[in-house]
Amino acid sequence: MLTNITIGQYYPADSPVHRLDPRFKLVSALAFIILLFFVGNIWGFIFTAVCVFAVIKISRVPPLFLLRGLRGIIFILLFTAVLNVFFTPGDTVLLQFYFLRVTLEGLALAGKMAARLCLLIVGSSLLTLTTSPIELTDAIEYLMKPLKRVGVPAHEIAMMMTIALRFIPTLMEEMDKIMKAQSARGADFDTGGVVKRARALIPLLVPLFISSFRRADELATAMEARCYRGDVNRTRMKELKLSRMDLRAIPFMVLYAAGIFALNFI
Amino acid sequence: MEIIRTESLVFKYIQYNEDNAPEAPPALNGIDLSVEKGLFTAVLGRNGSGKSTLAKQINALLTPNEGTIWVNGIDTHDASRVWDVRQSAGMVFQNPDNQLIATIVEEDVAFGPENLGVPPRQIRERVEEALNAVDMEEYRRAAPHHLSGGQKQRVAIAGVLAMKPSCVVLDEPTAMLDPAGRREVIDTIIRLNKEEGISVILITHFMEEAVRADRVIVVDHGQITIDGPPREVFKQVEAMKSLGLDVPQATELAYILNARIGAAILPSDLLTMNELTDALSAVADGAEKPASIPVRAKPAAVKDYKPILEIKDISFIYNQGSAFEKKALDGVSMSITRGEFIGLIGHTGSGKSTLIQHFNALLTPTSGQVLFNGADIRADKSKLKSIRQRVGLVFQYPEHQLFEITVLKDVEFGPANMGLSADEVRERAEQALAAVGIEPALFEKSPFELSGGQKRRAAIAGVLAMRPEILILDEPTSGLDPKGRDEILEQIRFMREEMNLTVVLVSHSMEDVAKLAERVVVINHGRIAFDGGPGEVFSHVSELEAMGLAAPRPAYLMRALRRAGWDVPERIFSLADAADALTPYLNHRWNGGYYDK
Repeated sequence: MLTNITIGQYYPADSPVHRLDPRFKLVSALAFIILLFFVGNIWGFIFTAVCVFAVIKISRVPPLFLLRGLRGIIFILLFTAVLNVFFTPGDTVLLQFYFLRVTLEGLALAGKMAARLCLLIVGSSLLTLTTSPIELTDAIEYLMKPLKRVGVPAHEIAMMMTIALRFIPTLMEEMDKIMKAQSARGADFDTGGVVKRARALIPLLVPLFISSFRRADELATAMEARCYRGDVNRTRMKELKLSRMDLRAIPFMVLYAAGIFALNFI
Repeated sequence: MEIIRTESLVFKYIQYNEDNAPEAPPALNGIDLSVEKGLFTAVLGRNGSGKSTLAKQINALLTPNEGTIWVNGIDTHDASRVWDVRQSAGMVFQNPDNQLIATIVEEDVAFGPENLGVPPRQIRERVEEALNAVDMEEYRRAAPHHLSGGQKQRVAIAGVLAMKPSCVVLDEPTAMLDPAGRREVIDTIIRLNKEEGISVILITHFMEEAVRADRVIVVDHGQITIDGPPREVFKQVEAMKSLGLDVPQATELAYILNARIGAAILPSDLLTMNELTDALSAVADGAEKPASIPVRAKPAAVKDYKPILEIKDISFIYNQGSAFEKKALDGVSMSITRGEFIGLIGHTGSGKSTLIQHFNALLTPTSGQVLFNGADIRADKSKLKSIRQRVGLVFQYPEHQLFEITVLKDVEFGPANMGLSADEVRERAEQALAAVGIEPALFEKSPFELSGGQKRRAAIAGVLAMRPEILILDEPTSGLDPKGRDEILEQIRFMREEMNLTVVLVSHSMEDVAKLAERVVVINHGRIAFDGGPGEVFSHVSELEAMGLAAPRPAYLMRALRRAGWDVPERIFSLADAADALTPYLNHRWNGGYYDK
């Protein structure tokens, strides 16, 4: 069930994109998302799509794998498209039934929004697919460092993210097990009204909570036993270092941004 | 040089009693201990004896209330040197899942040295060395949840090694593993001890592991009661049993035989079946071989030979159609007759857990059919509940499903789901609890206040209360101490006879299966490899070993004796049967006039 979700999954491979500094990738991904909103016409979208496709090729992530990630947002995609098609005011009316009318402007906007959403999802999945969760948290920790001075616990936030990522599969497995065990005792999670279903969750949630607390307690003990004391006197095995490749990638990013703005004038 | 020294160490956990007044029964009550550097020490003791508390003292996770403990010469009371203590005495815990922090193996191993502020380049070297030492090099980029239990524990050990400790404390590291994983971990520990000279303190419930130690310490009620080399400790069979512990099977068999013959003809300090074979050969040396002795036949249960459950050529594929597709079952057919006691064995990942989830329709076979009393259990969805009630399935660690406010209410959950009247529900729950040996005084307690063994029995009662016709238990003894294990097994035997149940026992322990089951089914790679009486199945020793399994230990003894020319029956799988087979033989030797008494 979890295997259908590509967002947040890591696709291990050895590619130039994988080897880029996670901080660079994170900043680039943010820039990419912001730039998407400056894309004004079809040429801009084509340019972006070509660039994204080039990065996918370089990253060695199978394009199908990425496209499958879009399946999850099909509903949102359709919903916004329908809204845009029918409710965009415009002059060039193509079709009209009663109060619903389809305009050329509406179709154009719907197309743009859909393209934007797709590119947004594909672009940001590229980040998580090519960056291991731990690199990503390291990057977040590093980029939040300046905020430490104003009291933001950057290290703790990053550590919590790591632990959460580590335990998601474990807890999913556990939930599946408890669900089956309670089903074996005649519990029914699938039928009945809202209240009945909510009540049916108690035998599932209570054991899950208890086990999470037990795990948290044991994990804390294990971390302490391995001399963890927060961010005091701590080093990292993997130091984040900008490499030649990152430096080479920077001009590409800048050119891409320039291209987006330039294409708006066509 | 000593690595650990304690002087009249006392430690109390503060608890609050019913009047909210603090209470402090001592968990450790005057421990005087000195452990030499480089030794492999095993610590034994029943649950609640204080052995885990002792382990936490060594790592300064807890500090003594009275007395002192020095680790590598450092007093753990000295708050400024806590990190030095933890660095020199690393700790590995029981649950492999709850001690790995990072999402990638090498990152996890690096966690300790990172905390110690080791420079990055050195961390890399240490991680590599540590992963090599536990033979996990090739998994350095793997995610922990894709590893087996034994592999996870080896990563945990590597995580400790990367901190360059002089001592490693392991708190029941093998309790949650299957036999193959257990062997991996113990072999790793012993290699570290012998080759790297790291002192090892191993807390365990498995006597076969303790046998390999240089020294065995038995803790009971917070005190050290027995202390010495394994031979000296395990020969005290009575004392060990009275402390709720086991002795190795060879030691026990020698003890039983000596008692039956009425003289100490066998040395009392034997530890392995090989030693026992040699000792028996020495006793019989030069004497004529007596005639074959008939084996006591197991009483066959009354059966009506009607299949209660029929599995017809089922296959099951996980995640069909995705990149993670995995065939777990491949054309399995078997039929379970009413009243049978079946032992289902197979290594982790063989498909046995998948198989039993088909028995009560928790999983739908990709192809094939499951028939209960002749009807397809998937045919009528509205009858699923009734199927699940009649085919009771107790999962591994069933105590993790407890959720109600009181023990009684929790057990009532199953029957209440069946839509019975409140009186009926109560009656069934009370009966089920009585059947598993939970006293009425505990009915109104929270299930979380019970001891480990009690929790498990209460959870089993939760399934039993539905009055199933067939009861399936997945590893019901895992993680329990020897006493808890024996209690559960005895309870299963008792329930089966009292309630005329059909039982399927899934287990890693060949000894447990041999003791109870009348039919043994072996699953390997999603197929049935063997299916037959224990005698027949366990005679395929080499095939079983190739599957990562083994025959029960007494079978190896009998095989070795036969090779040595003894005319003993081959198909013997429990200690009691082995003793029965050997006693007349030895009696004949010993009391028959060949030896001067």
